[in-house]
Amino acid sequence: MTNNNNTNSADSNQPLKNYRVLDLSRIWAGPYCTKLMADMGAEIIKMESLSVYDSNRGPINPARGIAAYPDGEPGDEPWNRNGWFNCLHLSKYGITLELTSETGRNVFDQLVSISDVVIENFRQGSLERLGYSYETLRRLRPDLIYVSMPAFGNSGPWQKYLAYGIGQEQLSGMAHMTGYRGEGPMKSGINHGDPITGSHAAGVLLAALRYRKRTGKGMYIDVSQQESAVSLIGADVLAYQLTGEEPQRRGNRSPYFAPHNSYRCAGEDRWVAIAVTNDEEWRQLAQLVGGSELSADPRFATLAGRLENEDQLDDLISGWTVDKKAYDLCHLLQREGVPASPVMGGPDLLADPHYAARGTFVRVNHEQVGEKTYPGIPWKMSATPGKARWASPTLGQHNRQIYGELLAMPTDDITALEEQGIIGTIPTGSRII
Amino acid sequence: MTTESSNNGSLPGLLEGVRVIDLTHYISGPYCTKLMATLGAEVIKIERPGSGDPIRRFGPFAEALTPAPIPQDEGSTVAGAWFLYLNTSKKSLTLDLHSDAGKDILRSLVSSAQIVVENFAPETMDKLGLGYSDLEKLNPSLVMTSISNYGQTGPYRDWKATELNLYAAGGLMYITGEPDSEPLKEGAPLAQLGAGQTAFVATMGALMHAEDTGHGQHIDLSIADYATNILENAMMQYSYSGEEYTRVGNRGYGRAAWGIYPCQDGYVGIISGPDTRWPEIAGIMEREELSDPRFASRNGRLMNADEVDALMLPWLLDHDKVDIFKAGQEAGLGFGFVATMEDILEMEQLTARNYFVELDHGAAGTFKYPGAPIRTTSSTSSQSPPSQGGEESASPLTKGGAHGGRPQGSAQDHWVYRRAPHLGEHKEEILGVALGHPAAEIARLRDQGVI
Repeated sequence: MTNNNNTNSADSNQPLKNYRVLDLSRIWAGPYCTKLMADMGAEIIKMESLSVYDSNRGPINPARGIAAYPDGEPGDEPWNRNGWFNCLHLSKYGITLELTSETGRNVFDQLVSISDVVIENFRQGSLERLGYSYETLRRLRPDLIYVSMPAFGNSGPWQKYLAYGIGQEQLSGMAHMTGYRGEGPMKSGINHGDPITGSHAAGVLLAALRYRKRTGKGMYIDVSQQESAVSLIGADVLAYQLTGEEPQRRGNRSPYFAPHNSYRCAGEDRWVAIAVTNDEEWRQLAQLVGGSELSADPRFATLAGRLENEDQLDDLISGWTVDKKAYDLCHLLQREGVPASPVMGGPDLLADPHYAARGTFVRVNHEQVGEKTYPGIPWKMSATPGKARWASPTLGQHNRQIYGELLAMPTDDITALEEQGIIGTIPTGSRII
Repeated sequence: MTTESSNNGSLPGLLEGVRVIDLTHYISGPYCTKLMATLGAEVIKIERPGSGDPIRRFGPFAEALTPAPIPQDEGSTVAGAWFLYLNTSKKSLTLDLHSDAGKDILRSLVSSAQIVVENFAPETMDKLGLGYSDLEKLNPSLVMTSISNYGQTGPYRDWKATELNLYAAGGLMYITGEPDSEPLKEGAPLAQLGAGQTAFVATMGALMHAEDTGHGQHIDLSIADYATNILENAMMQYSYSGEEYTRVGNRGYGRAAWGIYPCQDGYVGIISGPDTRWPEIAGIMEREELSDPRFASRNGRLMNADEVDALMLPWLLDHDKVDIFKAGQEAGLGFGFVATMEDILEMEQLTARNYFVELDHGAAGTFKYPGAPIRTTSSTSSQSPPSQGGEESASPLTKGGAHGGRPQGSAQDHWVYRRAPHLGEHKEEILGVALGHPAAEIARLRDQGVI
């Protein structure tokens, strides 16, 4: 690997093979953005601090038995063995660097000068306090694309506030719309704010790289994670203005389709999701649930009738599904043209024949973890399929490679940086939310 | 400002010059092409003659309309909230893809375009003779993006599904809701919308590759695959230790004092991390008992979760959501509150940043639309950074000194907002100007029901 040559010679056909991203982002939103770019062959250099590494690596000294570690065992270097971190950094390079010394800052300047993109999701203003703004970074790289993604953007009265994906679900209105009927709002099982922003940022960042190629112009990209989340659900913001009515929490029900719910099946916590979208699908489902008597029942023949009697329908369907296996039901219902799917948990997903056939999940070997299953690339491209090129980097794994080969730093200088604690592979602290 | 279109900045859209043939309907595909259209691409939405995108008929509407109207005519302005939002800045052309003349027009359009996006059931395009293998012969650098429920391959390829089914099959539903109740989907269709976002990312990458190499390609994006891609912790916990991630209601997984709580006028989000910040919460909530060392660590709070909740609730129920949110934020805690649509439209942060775009649709009325999801401000020159010191220059970025080095571009730079199109609104422009059909030919196509 040299300054001007690409590091990905084995994947020379990838769409983003000529782009280098200096990635200071942590946790999820930023790393998901650069994961999508890594999936298309971009060279992602993830830079962490030895005192404040990416908190998704977990605490420096965690208790045993936490399920994010292989078999619950954190091992000698737990920061390298956390699945939450390791699923988001496949095919990225990992380096460490402290910006607290002049030497470290000189190295950072060199990294910026050879990068197409710098991306960070620190609390607003954190990088500026270290003396790095878009303007100062542009002096190092005039056509730089700089992506800054604090919680609420880089202006306005809330710019210093912080929020995680869970907070964005609340502040964007998503949580307000989610929940059981008649009950309070409910958070999702994940934190949707993060991947939504990561994905929005990745798409716009690619459009900006393309624009730069045509015009030579760099770009300042100011991401408010909140604006990104509200933009996704804008139809509901419009709906409120059209009617003056706030969205209702409907559980799994829909104003457009009925019946429409998850129903208990045989086994512990096993469920099937069934959605009837028209009268014909209802007749097919009803025939299975209650024979021709139910299928012909005029009370349920139309959507309006089914919506009016939905409690009764849900009871009837639950009574039918409760002693049957979810997967068997899905195959049966799909044969009859009724939309149905298993409510899949982890074991279902990893054993499912459809996902296996599509290669949705990938097996990757990690030097400190062994071979494990990870989410793969979320699309299939016919000409440039891409692949998980290597496992997530251990802390500082690629220091010698990036500093030695990319920056052409003599070995003695790298050793000196290690001795001064400016780079390294063993953390000095951690800060976990 | 109230206009049919809005581009606050004078800068062109980032994707100006890119033509997209948009064969999408409902939610996932239209969100993908909405991102392209509002970034300045010319998105030509092909709709079925006489009825259009079925989501035109999904309410709510400006007036209570039951049953929902079916657009019968060219120029129909029927459009519920979903259509209005998901189709801003697009052009509409009606086209019967089952007719030979309709296919010919589509082929001409595809020959002139860089991108095709479709979200029909798999094989629909092939059966029409308009699959990728057909279209790439017309346009070798074409990027064709197909979004579908379960993808173009695999044993569930032809399974029928709604958002409910995809949220379930993608693993997101099993982990949402109360442990003793049924698994719950999100209120908003986040699997379909997220898949549309992700298809946009992939399409941008493939477009760059096509422009670099001359080679287009076909992208197969499955909504279910997308859902599995964002499982993060839930997926990895099982993969690493075999321990299943389950539903925990409103408590964070493996956490307490972390989630949604009731307050005086609604609901707030309490985030009790990092541990070093926990003592602040006892101060904010005026409850000395919360400083108990038993609650000082994440694990300690988890072991005593009910007790912690009981200590917090009286203060929460006595205070307003925005006050609680700000009290936490001012103390460095990432508190949130459950915003209603009314809250969002009035939110001081969004207003201060000029986030909303006001568009007049005519028939549906004038409303505030959520604006650019991501703000972009291009530098004026690639060669020299802006001048230093107090010296003024022509660059819009020169306020850097006063704003900590942050350019103060317009909220919607590079984003172009126009109201959603009426059915077939742009046929003269597209057939006449873009494809060069004479007016008599367009009239003949209309008489034949092709458009």
